[in-house]
Amino acid sequence: MTTWLMAGLLFTPLAWAAITLLLSFRNGRWVSWLGMLVQVLVSVGVWLLVVDRGEFYHGLGGWDAPLGIELRVDGLAIIFVLLTATVATACGWHAGMYLDSDKPWQKHFWPLFWFLWAALNSVWLSGDLFNLYVGLEVITLTAVGLVAVGGQADALRAALRYLLVALVGSMAYLLGVALVYGEFGVLSLAVVRELQAENGVGMTLPLALMLGGLAVKSALFPMHGWLPPAHGVAKSPVSGLMSGLVVKASFYIAARLWLELGHEAGSLALAQVLGVLGSAAVVWGSWLALRQKKLKQVVAYSSVAQIGYLFLLFPLTLSVSEAVSLQAQQGVTLQVVSHALAKGAMFLAAGNLILSVRSGEVDALAGVGRFLPFSLFSFGLAGVSLMGLPPSGGFAAKWLLLQASLASGQWWWALVLLAGGLLSALYVFRIYQASFVQDSDLDEFYHPPRSLELVPMILALLALGLGLVVDPMLTLLGRPFGEGSVP
Amino acid sequence: MKAWFATFVVLAVCVAFTGLLAVTVWDIAQTPALVQLPAMVAEKLSESGVKNPVTAVLLNFRSYDTLLEIGVLVIAAMTGISMARTPTLEDPELRTSNELLFALQRWFVPLMLMVAGYLLWAGSDRPGGAFQAGAVLAAAGVLMRLGARPMNFLRPGILLRLGLVLGFAVFLVVALASAFAGEAFLDYPEGWTKVLIVTIEAVLTLSIGMVLLALFVAGPVNEYGEEDDPV
Repeated sequence: MTTWLMAGLLFTPLAWAAITLLLSFRNGRWVSWLGMLVQVLVSVGVWLLVVDRGEFYHGLGGWDAPLGIELRVDGLAIIFVLLTATVATACGWHAGMYLDSDKPWQKHFWPLFWFLWAALNSVWLSGDLFNLYVGLEVITLTAVGLVAVGGQADALRAALRYLLVALVGSMAYLLGVALVYGEFGVLSLAVVRELQAENGVGMTLPLALMLGGLAVKSALFPMHGWLPPAHGVAKSPVSGLMSGLVVKASFYIAARLWLELGHEAGSLALAQVLGVLGSAAVVWGSWLALRQKKLKQVVAYSSVAQIGYLFLLFPLTLSVSEAVSLQAQQGVTLQVVSHALAKGAMFLAAGNLILSVRSGEVDALAGVGRFLPFSLFSFGLAGVSLMGLPPSGGFAAKWLLLQASLASGQWWWALVLLAGGLLSALYVFRIYQASFVQDSDLDEFYHPPRSLELVPMILALLALGLGLVVDPMLTLLGRPFGEGSVP
Repeated sequence: MKAWFATFVVLAVCVAFTGLLAVTVWDIAQTPALVQLPAMVAEKLSESGVKNPVTAVLLNFRSYDTLLEIGVLVIAAMTGISMARTPTLEDPELRTSNELLFALQRWFVPLMLMVAGYLLWAGSDRPGGAFQAGAVLAAAGVLMRLGARPMNFLRPGILLRLGLVLGFAVFLVVALASAFAGEAFLDYPEGWTKVLIVTIEAVLTLSIGMVLLALFVAGPVNEYGEEDDPV
């Protein structure tokens, strides 16, 4: 049973990719919608398995670590698997109706979508440094492909820039992996951690290299320049996938590495630098979001800011008490989940708004409040979570981070949390202000079908309601970031 | 000034990477690793079905990595084709007719096909295998294209996509079939290992050749391009 569920997570998305590669967009849509249903069921199945059986390791191909590749199935991985199933299904569902199926290149959307899903699951589950690299590469390439599909000049420019930056990040990560392999002779993260604890080998350089590379890929300030053009120019469902899931993959690996190896190899300076850069991202990203003229650029710069919060994980988990560290980990996990849901909702809603007024400018939204209240409402609900108002998931996340920063005596992060919330309120209200302007000479609005409006609403409600189910979710997290059993 | 600065930054990054790479190699060569993975591979080689350790690692011990890597190639080819300018990737206008090239082709193409076949077969017990063989196959295709051989399979129709995905699909089917046979995924059943690995390598060679060739001929920008599309 375990084998089948694992295969369901890792191999069936690949099978959907191979099948949809041979189909047109319209036929691929039906296959994909069926596939999404299957993937959601499998993800829930794995969740129930972990609840029932606890965390476990699973060797692929009958070979255990260090010779083969081992999967680590723990609470955190399951949360990400479920999150992926939710956001990807929403974006795929939306994309099936939203994308123009008459364009010949659109048939490449589904295979890329499925490759992306397969690679995301692989990153969440893998416990092997090189396998993580391969998963990350597949994610990057599918993401670049999804941004570039259609090959319009600006999309191509953004995609190419994204590709080059991401490759530099990958190279730094790979170099770090090579150093680790040279030192220990193994690639399994669990075995490396054990050996490191036994032998006390200095690993600061490889860890810094890997974290640096991953930070570039997660668009940490000041390496965020590639993100807004790529996320802004992509079709809205693709932007939702990018901001919601793709950027999280590289952060997830960084967090795993830090929590496994950081106690020995991390330094206070490295942690503080990452925290400061994250804070700078929060302030600078929000400020730029406030000044953008295009709707999707506002949302994209907001992603830069929201990702900044995640990097507070590093200072808040190094040389602090167990309880504070756990609080910070829970806070960051919640922030990832609520941002993925809220940003997915925001991009999909933004897509509907743009479809309706036929322009991507913020000012063009004037008067849309009367015609498309539903999509605008989803946008606002998602904004509530970004601002961190109760009862949203964003509120719970920031509350936990706030407590962790005060309890660890690092009060300066609390200021960042407050400033970030205020700034995000400003840029969300700016969109509202523009859309409620009444004296618009534009009288014709295109009305997207109801089902298109429904998807972002569901995501936004999930982001909002997340605050109410924090407790059961954190129980699933149990011992977050795998402080669990050794293989 | 700005261009000068950008060049400087790129150069600095390159130098830093090169330096770090040198340090890495030096570091690895100097101190033996704590765990000797090659020894473990050698120990289990008899169970892997092939005699070449590299092939054993690629297609048995870490076959999941390889499966995803093939996925990378398929993705790259797909992205390339999705941006192709011409309706057929095999554009007659781009053909040249050069006597020397034509003569070379008659000598080289059969030889290259043979080399590809040999590399594929050699992969099971010495260096070689699908990636090398596929690269040679693609080179033969490039030569043929330069020399104006019509290659109709490169039309971006179902045949091209079928060729691209063939190796990947067979690999995946083997993974599924091995699970039906009662073992874990990608765990080849007893006695079948060699047959399956050679089959996978053979179809992979074809697909890899096709992917590389498709990337070579795919054009950059779409003609539909510049329409006003705000989303």
